[in-house]
Amino acid sequence: MSMTPTPPLLSVRDLTVAFRVRGEDAPVVRDLSFDLHEGETLGIVGESGCGKSMTALALMGLVPNPPGRIASGSIRLGDEELVAAAEARLRRVRGARISMVFQEPMTSLNPVFTVGEQIAETARAHLGLSAREARDRAVEMLRLVGIPAPERRVGDYPHQLSGGMRQRVMIAIALVCEPQVLIADEPTTALDVTVQAQIFDLFRELQDRMNTAVILITHDIGVVAEMTDRVMVMYAGRKVEEGPAADFVAAPRHPYARGLVNCVPRLVADPPDVPEPLFEIPGLVPGAEALARPGCAFAPRCPRAMPVCGREFPPVTASPGGRSVACWLDAEGAR
Amino acid sequence: MIRTLSRRLLNAAGLLLAVLVFNFALIHMAPGDPVEVLAGEMGGATPELLAEIRAGYGLDRPFHVQLLTYLGRVAQGDLGHSFYYDQPVTGLILDRIGATLLLVCAALTLALLLGCFLGVVSAQNRNGWLSHLVTLLSLAGFSAPVFWVGILLILTFSVALPVLPISGMSSVDAGRMGPWGRAADVAAHMVLPVLTLASIYLAFYSRLARASMLDVLGSDYVRTARAKGLSRFLVVYKHALRNALLPVVTFAGLQFAQVVSGAVLVETVFAWPGLGTLAYESLLRRDSPTLLGILFFSALMVVAVNIAVDLLYRLIDPRIGAR
Ligand SMILES: Nc1ncnc2c1ncn2[C@@H]1O[C@H](COP(=O)(O)OP(=O)(O)OP(=O)(O)O)[C@@H](O)[C@H]1O
Ligand SMILES: [Mg+2]
Repeated sequence: MSMTPTPPLLSVRDLTVAFRVRGEDAPVVRDLSFDLHEGETLGIVGESGCGKSMTALALMGLVPNPPGRIASGSIRLGDEELVAAAEARLRRVRGARISMVFQEPMTSLNPVFTVGEQIAETARAHLGLSAREARDRAVEMLRLVGIPAPERRVGDYPHQLSGGMRQRVMIAIALVCEPQVLIADEPTTALDVTVQAQIFDLFRELQDRMNTAVILITHDIGVVAEMTDRVMVMYAGRKVEEGPAADFVAAPRHPYARGLVNCVPRLVADPPDVPEPLFEIPGLVPGAEALARPGCAFAPRCPRAMPVCGREFPPVTASPGGRSVACWLDAEGAR
Repeated sequence: MIRTLSRRLLNAAGLLLAVLVFNFALIHMAPGDPVEVLAGEMGGATPELLAEIRAGYGLDRPFHVQLLTYLGRVAQGDLGHSFYYDQPVTGLILDRIGATLLLVCAALTLALLLGCFLGVVSAQNRNGWLSHLVTLLSLAGFSAPVFWVGILLILTFSVALPVLPISGMSSVDAGRMGPWGRAADVAAHMVLPVLTLASIYLAFYSRLARASMLDVLGSDYVRTARAKGLSRFLVVYKHALRNALLPVVTFAGLQFAQVVSGAVLVETVFAWPGLGTLAYESLLRRDSPTLLGILFFSALMVVAVNIAVDLLYRLIDPRIGAR
């Protein structure tokens, strides 16, 4: 990762996404800020429901509305502001400059159109290709994402493909216009392990070729270590820790992140007779009302919680090497 | 494809046979003697005359012999001879079928197109006034009896505001009009019966299309379509509508039988010279061969439409053909 101070490709500041539930605004993403540089891979980790997908949808301008909306903050792509941009302008960004691969490959393709058409229409919409050129481009993309016999597969319907093949098609759709940013929301959760490895190989290969910046959402620390340059940990809609992936995995700071990393069983060459017990984070995933409370949302489950944790959200403490953490344990003057 | 089709045709043949036997038995058991009605209309009813007519139509033979004779004739395409009109039933039906098909097809098309349109538009704007209007309309459509709607329309557009003909299919002086004039005349006569028949199904289809569209608009593949940066028009009318149509087409096929029976009511209200009026008259006249013929023919139509819908469904949804 380069340290040159080039301006970031994507810059998110104080992003808040809220859902209107029973007449009240419930934030699901709060005051989120982060940057993404060209060619970089940023991992977003956190447990189910912490707001990873909503963050991604906010970047796409696709937060389901109603009941959701971007309540405040800014998302800049290059020098274009995306929050509150007109729908017509967002349409020119979506699929062309930022695209997204979704969590559910089985249902994300339209069952009544051929996969070729579903790739080609994106090319027609943004690149102004003719029908024939767009079809050729679809074949080329299918070949690129490693689908055998692409000339034949281009006429297949989604139900004729396996889950792994469908996810490859989704990736082909996302990459057909060579976007600057690719968001992959748990792209392999629904797939089996061998396919998972193939998909990640494909990501690396395509990223090298196109220099795309990738936001990879996952809850697999192994994937973070292997695939990403930088990682951001979210808890209950907030960023609680950020840093270079290798440093983070070696020594997580935030108590929640420590729990997360320690949950992963280590592979040891010479296993002891009595295996180490698997670490587990006590307590439950916080509900929406917990997010609205003041203080750190992790405090009720935190083994090292202090009185101040329940009162006020901790300030962000930055440390050398591009790391930062939001925890009272690290904050200056904390007791 | 060929195998499914031949299996469907075999099923259809079995079904039609069952319909024939059931209807024949039902009419045989029904009270009232067609021969007496017939003889009465001829002017006198001596026992000899009655016996002669009975023998002429084979009505004096045992039930199972009559049934088998009838089935054998139908198998050869002969639906028997009308007591009342004194001509082959097949010819009678063919004379009237055009009028009924015109009415049914026009009403079905109108109900489907308008219903889908209303459904789609109201699904996109869930709490808009159009959406509420669709709900209101369908409530009214569901609860209002057909003949009431028909009579209301007649009172409004033919009596209070005499712009449309009350009944029949053509004017008395239609013979003197040119081909275009005649077409326009028939079209004017069609308006009220078609509206009446369509109103029942319009309510149903608009609700169905709305529910189906709402479902599809929330689906993952519609989100994908939006994530591609496609225009709103493409997202709604290409990606969503085609999927939302699947249940509507299924129901349109299943409901065809009801549209045909609805047509009987509408035809009697508007004196539309189709199969429905013929069936009604035949029932009053105890003209059982004609009635049986019409019932059989309607069953045949419904079965044929269901097979056609099945094929159409395969065209719209590629997943079906693969199974
Ligand atoms: N339509 C909705 N109405 C109200 N709340 C919603 C809605 N959709 C999502 N949420 C809330 O938003 C929060 C964040 O959801 P999100 O899908 O971003 O989680 P996630 O981190 O992607 O989880 P996962 O790992 O399970 O995919 C959740 O707590 C969820 O309850
Ligand atoms: Mg998610």
